[in-house]
Amino acid sequence: MILGLSIVVMLCSVLLIMLVLLHKGKGGGLSDLFGGGVTSSLGGSSVVERNLDRLTIVTALLWIVCVVVLGLLINRGA
Amino acid sequence: MLRAFVRAFRTPDLRNKLLFTIFILTIFRLGSVIPAPGIDNAAIKQCLQGVQAGDSAGLYSLINLFSGGALLQLAVFALGIMPYITASIILNLLTVVIPRLETLKKEGQAGQAKITQYTRYLTVALAVLQSTSIIAMARTGQLFQNACVPSSYMPQQDPLTLITMVFVMTGGTCIIMWFGELITERGVGNGMSLLIFTQIVAMFPSSMMRIWEEQGPWVFAIIVVAGLILMAGVVFIEQAQRRIPVQYAKRMVGRRMYGGSSTYIPLKVNQAGVIPVIFASSLLYLPQLVIGLLGNDTNNSVVNFLSTYFNPNGTHPVYMVTFFLLIVGFAFFYVAITFNPAEVADNMKKYGGFIPGIRPGRPTAEYLDYVLTRLTTPGALYLGVIALLPMLALGASGAAGNFPFGGTSILIMVGVGLDTVKQIESHLQQRNYEGFLR
Repeated sequence: MILGLSIVVMLCSVLLIMLVLLHKGKGGGLSDLFGGGVTSSLGGSSVVERNLDRLTIVTALLWIVCVVVLGLLINRGA
Repeated sequence: MLRAFVRAFRTPDLRNKLLFTIFILTIFRLGSVIPAPGIDNAAIKQCLQGVQAGDSAGLYSLINLFSGGALLQLAVFALGIMPYITASIILNLLTVVIPRLETLKKEGQAGQAKITQYTRYLTVALAVLQSTSIIAMARTGQLFQNACVPSSYMPQQDPLTLITMVFVMTGGTCIIMWFGELITERGVGNGMSLLIFTQIVAMFPSSMMRIWEEQGPWVFAIIVVAGLILMAGVVFIEQAQRRIPVQYAKRMVGRRMYGGSSTYIPLKVNQAGVIPVIFASSLLYLPQLVIGLLGNDTNNSVVNFLSTYFNPNGTHPVYMVTFFLLIVGFAFFYVAITFNPAEVADNMKKYGGFIPGIRPGRPTAEYLDYVLTRLTTPGALYLGVIALLPMLALGASGAAGNFPFGGTSILIMVGVGLDTVKQIESHLQQRNYEGFLR
């Protein structure tokens, strides 16, 4: 059980990392951290971005549920 | 002030943005409390209390501050945005060294997007590195300065659990990065800085409570008043700017008339923001890491030297002077990176602008450089003094090291707060005038 869930969590994490990296990065890094110019993003997100968002949210939900359940299982088992 | 709040919530799109930001920040805080799998939450809380009583949390206090206490709880979001900040710092420094990055930066929007993408890749790599090292340190008990037994808070130490934890923390860092971008895109203010802001503010009540309990109400009152005065001073300087007038020549394009307006270039006194302080503090944590690697052996001369002169809890003059000099140096360095007088002068010349009394082209660049240098000098000194102030005060009074109004945190709180309010205000002004700031 724990082994299976651990593998699921790992797979989810990798998937999540890939999905987040697929997003187009907004914000120009450190230069507009802490008081840079006001960056207004013009134009709405495309269909691809919106589907990507949905996928990411679903994966993130699955991920957090698995993480919590796994944590409970390990603590219970010990 | 109150009416402005009401108005902000009455504007539909602004209300959506505010609610979205608050929603994301709430999830973010939730994730900073959920422990990573394989961590016993109750045991680790107990362990933390033991560590904080003996003030040895100094080693990671800054990183822990940036992660809002999530790091020492080994939460899902333990790493916070530290990997992203480190990655941005590294790429920023590399743009000076590597020509390819420099050309990318000059390309404008497309190049900048590419640099951002590199930053994101680097963030993941750093997250893997940092989570591995933190989990390794937690396993040996070094993370809590050997204050408690690792097997109490980490009941299972087989490779599978450990690897899962590394994966979870790396994934958590990615989610945080995505949150930051979401806030920048659809919320209010800059996502990354708002996330840091939340974590610092989240640490605030507990550290204030500790002061109240340990030092009594009088010291508490004095600290609050001192903090407020400090904040007012920081706001005063953060807002200060020199306006260099620029006159644009009138020109005819077809039948239209362009230009002829006079504007100004705002040059802030503290153009670099809090970045020099963050750079300097992360550099000064290196000696501590070296000590951690070499082991706490008093016979070793290197360890001895580092722990007497560069102990972040201590207020040794050498440490403070180094900190100050690093901040001043980085302030100049960062301003030089972000504001290029020659480029600004060139752009002005292209669009027919000039500073009254100064010829366009090279003399303008020289003038801008001259003004900027003279402005940055007090700005850099101010940054150094603000960052040092708590250390000086603590050195005099001998109070415990967990001062909530530490220089870095106060600078970040004020800087990000001002910025966000300004952005909300610019949204408000699209509908009606009179915002938060008058």
